[in-house]
Amino acid sequence: MKNLYRKGFYLLLCVFWAVLSYAQVTPTIQSRLNGTVLDAATGQPLPGAVVKIKGTTHTVSTGPDGRFTFVTGQKFPYTLIVSYIGYDQKEQVVDGTPVTIRLQEVQSQLTDVVVTGYSTQERKYIAGSISSVSGSVVQNQPSGGFNQLLQGKTTGVQVTSNSGVPGGGITFRVRGNNSINASVDPLYIIDGVFVSNADPISAGLGNQQASNPIADLNPSDIEDIQILKDANATAIYGSLGANGVIIVTTKRGKRNTKANINLNTFQGWSTAVKKFEVASGPEVALLTNESRINTAIDNGQDPSTVVLPFPNPQSLPTYDRISGLFRTAKSSNYEVSTQGGTDKSTYYVSLGYLGQESIVKPSDYKRYSARLNYDNYLSDKLKVGTSINFTRSERNLSGSDNNPTGVINSALFPRSHLPIYNTDGTYARYGSFDNHIALIENLDSKAVGWRTIGNIFGEYTFLPGLKIRSSWSIDNTSEYDNSYSSTLISAGIAVNGSASSIENKNLVLTNEQVLSFVKSFGEGKKHNINALVGNTLNTVLNESTSASGTGFAANSLRSVSVAATRSGSASRSESKLVSFFSKASYTYNGKYTIDGSIRADASSKFGTNNRWGYFPSGGVAWRLSQEEFIKNLNFFDELKVRASLGLSGNQNGIGAYAAQGLWSSGANYLEQPGIAPTQLANPDLTWETTRQFNVGAELGIFKNRLSIVADYYNKYTYDLLLNVPVPYRSGFASYLQNYGAVRNKGVELGINSTNIETDAFQWTTNFNISFNNNKIEKLASDISLGASGRNISILRQGYSSNSFQLYKQLYVDPQTGNAVYEDVNGDGLITSADRQIVGNALPKYTGGLTNNFNFKGFDLSFFFYFQQGNKIMNMNDFFMVHGGTQANIGFLPRQLERWQKPGDITDIPRLTTYSANPTQNGGAANNYGGNVASLSSRYLEDGSFIRLKTLTFGYTLPKDVLSRIGISKFRIYAQGTNLLTFTNYGGLDPEVSSQSNNQNTVGYDWATVPQPRTFQIGASVTF
Amino acid sequence: MKTSYSIKAILLAIVLLSSSCKKYLEEAPNNALPTETSITDASTARAAIIGTYDRLQGYYASSYPTLGTITTDNVIFNGTLSEYLQLDQNAIPTDNVITVSAYQGIYRTINSANSVITYVPLVNDPLLTVAEKNKILGEAYFIRALSYFDLARGWGGVQLQLKPTTDLSVLKGIKRSTLEQTYDQVLADLIQAEQLLPEDATTRNRAQKSTARALRARLHLYRKQWADAESYASQVINNTKYSLVKPYKSFFTAPFQTAESVLELAYSVNDRNSYWNLWYPSSSGGQFTLKPSDGLVAKLNNPAVGGTRNTLIAGSGTTVYGVLYNTTSTSTDPSYLIRIAELYLIRAEARAQQNKLTEAAADLNAIRARADVPATTATTQSALIQAIEDENAIEFAFEAHRWFDLVRTERAGAVLGITNKNFWLFPIPYSDVQSDPDVTQNPGY
Repeated sequence: MKNLYRKGFYLLLCVFWAVLSYAQVTPTIQSRLNGTVLDAATGQPLPGAVVKIKGTTHTVSTGPDGRFTFVTGQKFPYTLIVSYIGYDQKEQVVDGTPVTIRLQEVQSQLTDVVVTGYSTQERKYIAGSISSVSGSVVQNQPSGGFNQLLQGKTTGVQVTSNSGVPGGGITFRVRGNNSINASVDPLYIIDGVFVSNADPISAGLGNQQASNPIADLNPSDIEDIQILKDANATAIYGSLGANGVIIVTTKRGKRNTKANINLNTFQGWSTAVKKFEVASGPEVALLTNESRINTAIDNGQDPSTVVLPFPNPQSLPTYDRISGLFRTAKSSNYEVSTQGGTDKSTYYVSLGYLGQESIVKPSDYKRYSARLNYDNYLSDKLKVGTSINFTRSERNLSGSDNNPTGVINSALFPRSHLPIYNTDGTYARYGSFDNHIALIENLDSKAVGWRTIGNIFGEYTFLPGLKIRSSWSIDNTSEYDNSYSSTLISAGIAVNGSASSIENKNLVLTNEQVLSFVKSFGEGKKHNINALVGNTLNTVLNESTSASGTGFAANSLRSVSVAATRSGSASRSESKLVSFFSKASYTYNGKYTIDGSIRADASSKFGTNNRWGYFPSGGVAWRLSQEEFIKNLNFFDELKVRASLGLSGNQNGIGAYAAQGLWSSGANYLEQPGIAPTQLANPDLTWETTRQFNVGAELGIFKNRLSIVADYYNKYTYDLLLNVPVPYRSGFASYLQNYGAVRNKGVELGINSTNIETDAFQWTTNFNISFNNNKIEKLASDISLGASGRNISILRQGYSSNSFQLYKQLYVDPQTGNAVYEDVNGDGLITSADRQIVGNALPKYTGGLTNNFNFKGFDLSFFFYFQQGNKIMNMNDFFMVHGGTQANIGFLPRQLERWQKPGDITDIPRLTTYSANPTQNGGAANNYGGNVASLSSRYLEDGSFIRLKTLTFGYTLPKDVLSRIGISKFRIYAQGTNLLTFTNYGGLDPEVSSQSNNQNTVGYDWATVPQPRTFQIGASVTF
Repeated sequence: MKTSYSIKAILLAIVLLSSSCKKYLEEAPNNALPTETSITDASTARAAIIGTYDRLQGYYASSYPTLGTITTDNVIFNGTLSEYLQLDQNAIPTDNVITVSAYQGIYRTINSANSVITYVPLVNDPLLTVAEKNKILGEAYFIRALSYFDLARGWGGVQLQLKPTTDLSVLKGIKRSTLEQTYDQVLADLIQAEQLLPEDATTRNRAQKSTARALRARLHLYRKQWADAESYASQVINNTKYSLVKPYKSFFTAPFQTAESVLELAYSVNDRNSYWNLWYPSSSGGQFTLKPSDGLVAKLNNPAVGGTRNTLIAGSGTTVYGVLYNTTSTSTDPSYLIRIAELYLIRAEARAQQNKLTEAAADLNAIRARADVPATTATTQSALIQAIEDENAIEFAFEAHRWFDLVRTERAGAVLGITNKNFWLFPIPYSDVQSDPDVTQNPGY
């Protein structure tokens, strides 16, 4: 059946070429006119422009120097129609020879062009909600991924770095969490390629997402970024669009421009803003003794008979593990690029290197990137082009977070009076933890990724405004992870060394055809039509092969092939998507716009009963500023209101075979193959659908020096692809079905202001703020999860996703020192029924404030990011304020605030390990154990913060000085990142999410690398 | 003319494309079978029973033996994972990871067994002989019996699922049965199993007739049906395939599969059991979450109590650790489900309860002699019953026994200080209480 597709493609090609050959016919007549066609902006000649005498079929093309000659029977004056691809067609009356005709480039003529789904439109006519960010905003920052750098830069997106590990995972949401089990990540489109955002690294890092796959794109290559937010903008992407669409356009050369070469570099130094603090050896001893005595009292023993574990607390030493963990981390960035264009082609070529160390040893990240963007105008009708990006990423991985043998865990949790080394000089280990120095010195876990994102396209223009584009895209990720645990780290001790080698391959192939039609007609070109129709075929193939071995003759031998015992595995999954789409937009007189789109999608993931989904949308826009009564006010330069409504869908994040009833193989016993049921069939499984309503207003005043964009949206996502928990007696834990609904509604406000604009001094301000309210409207039953089975996170109908459920500590009884919790059901007992939702990890609002100042050659900018209303579950406190119940874990200083004697007012209860009567409220058992088991709101903290994210100071050398030495631009700058943070959060850093490999366990801080403070200096030169 | 041709061509293309679309969108995994065709022939029937054993391994590798040990005075919590602390303190929240994973694992096993019991009789394949079919069915009945037995002694009477879950509608309306009803189901399955299962002289890692009888002896013991318990224990003890191996440590020394074993689940380097990891200290690459208590260490080191069973522990000072699961480099320790020693102690207890004190003492002394411990000094019925309880605690120190013994004899209050009988049963998992309208939580949770 694939053959049919191939045939279809050949057919398409035939049509293509037939039309092409038909278009190239030229007749001849008598008489003479000489002329030149030039680019109006650059004055460069335009070769290959088509010149036609109006009212005849007589046509010639310009030569390499832009010159053309007519030999014709026509008499002067007559009208020439000159057209050139990428330029506006021009009619010019000629009355004698020679003549010079200047053409305006289409792009440069338009004031504000936005790349929307499959087309380009002028912002003023758009009815949807789209944010645009210039590429320069995300350049020269000490972070790998452009998506990470959009934090606080525009409305409607919420971005959090999950940890301070360079190249590590981030959380990126457009207008809130739409889903529970399907993906909530947006669709990323880079130069027309649908790129994968699946983390290809399979090494277990303690529930942390190891990488941000979008960091494979060098931000310096980016020209601009569009964020499609509402249904009107995203419905054209149908089942891929519900979580928003990020369209990235990379830099391309311009025709007829001289080559320029750009060199760019920065060097950075990062440090920890705050480091972990733990109780000293004597403090640990004091607390342990106290806990022992209190427990004896609780058990009815005479405290004087207790044998103290540390008879002399003051004599205990303190070993500092924390300082061995952190370092001043180096970042380096080098880039070289060139761009330009000839009369027939344009190019952009770049090479880049970024190297970044983590402030917590030993992780680091390196990225080598190369890009080639090339377009060729084969004729004035046919253009072909390509965008290719190659990236190699190298990561030294180290587990932290929820991983007892992780580096931070092994430094943070062991008791501080215990020595780091044994007396014989070997690494000392305690409890479940490894030795952090052993890990730092001996960890060997490397993840190397090769990423190719490429696209070739052909675009044929039948008539001005009517063209067909066919595009063939690939996003190929090959991730090769090798890890070796030597006998010097605990993972390798028992097995005499263990090694694993894993290759994950992820291939996304997309083919698309779009026929588009743009036309202005009528008197004064009052009527504008922008329409398109198209189709795509999309295939996603995931393959993985892994080998592992244990038992090595020596620590220097690290290849799986020489292990004593070896095993391997392989897996494969493939899914396909077929789509057809169309959209049309009509604008009358530059005032009224109405548009609509529809997409039909069919996915191989779904059951045969419900495979197709249809996603329509519509929008209207009214430019009041074009109305006379507004014009008469003489106040508004731009005033537009718009509204849209539509549907988009989601199928990402569920398995390729999610609808099928399956018995998995591999359930082996006695070296014989076994099979067992693993998944229930759901032939009715279908799309998760998001219905979104959006109203917005855009206005510009004071000669557009102040522009404001405001939006209100209401998104309702229904038929959620939900892993509904089923009774365990079924033999299954959950069943994927379309059930449940989530609503996100919010308000966004963006303000751009040019405060001062003189030749010598410019000051601009950008402010944005986004409010989002998330609520689960329908759910089969509560879903609780997170924190290694402690179920601290919960999804419950009527509450927002990412809620925390804990026992709410009301107070610590000043008389007994025992914690008292809210008895929710009032039965006088503390049981699991008394757990309640005490907050959630979603901020109420996020935003940013950027100010840029330019004075002569100097530039200064600062950028604040803020978020408010989110809670963080501080797992470090959870473990290290344990009241003595954890014999192998030390204490945080917060434990010293415990209740000690009647009358003490504190929120840290009396130390004890007493365990009887676990249901008694205000009983000793529930202080740190019992039914509450420390799942107490006392470890939940406010995560709001305001941060001076970047402060940059730069100087650009004067042009007249530079031009003498052949340099067109030279800028040097110094920059600080994360210089100031204002927060009440007690942990190291409020921007954290340690359990990020599951979207429903957000907001944990668990032995995670904090966000670093970075100083950098940089320079950029353009020749 | 031209246009009508092109319209026809377009229509044709649409028809071709849409029919090919359907095929184009058919995708199937290469590592799983569709449920409809899961058990269809001899090969898949064999694979399905193997898969059922795999599920049994799933809960016996780590979670079930942990539930039987750390909850008692033999083993204490020494790690960082609070789910083990909760078990050690016998303050078990309804979402305790270990109880949830055991409960879930047991029902997964039951669903596999139910599938075999339902679909294998329908297989019509000349390669699947009647004898083999019976063997497969017998094994499935045995595994289902064991699974329900393990549920009953941990959680009390449970919901009896006897049909494979093909869709969720089969779950409706099944309420919790009583403990007696659950044990009746176990008995019914064991009777089937005993009829269908074969018996040979060597197999110890799959169910056989004697395995079914051994479990039946245990069931009768739990139900205080002393005569039946004695009789079934005797049937197994009298089978020459089994004997008490000496020294004690030989049954847990590689390559395992000794005459001691009535049923042990085997593991290999391709199918690992890393339970040792919870017992060994981090200096040996383990997590050391489960630690022998000081009291147990003293008893094991006492030649008059532990004898050669002191080989269950290693290390010194504060770093004494259990080594029943000891294949640190290969992770191939078996799960010890039924040892012949247990049958001796079942018979001893059954006989003591029937006041057959001499025979009871003889059985007890067989176990003590194997461990090079002097014969019991108990002479009265109650002293003997106490001696048997103490012997069980030492003999099966790190196996899934002591907790369940103390609960069945209602001694958990006296011995462990858990006077609230509600906590003698584990809680029904939190998520089941949320998602299942037919389940009721155990009292006290």
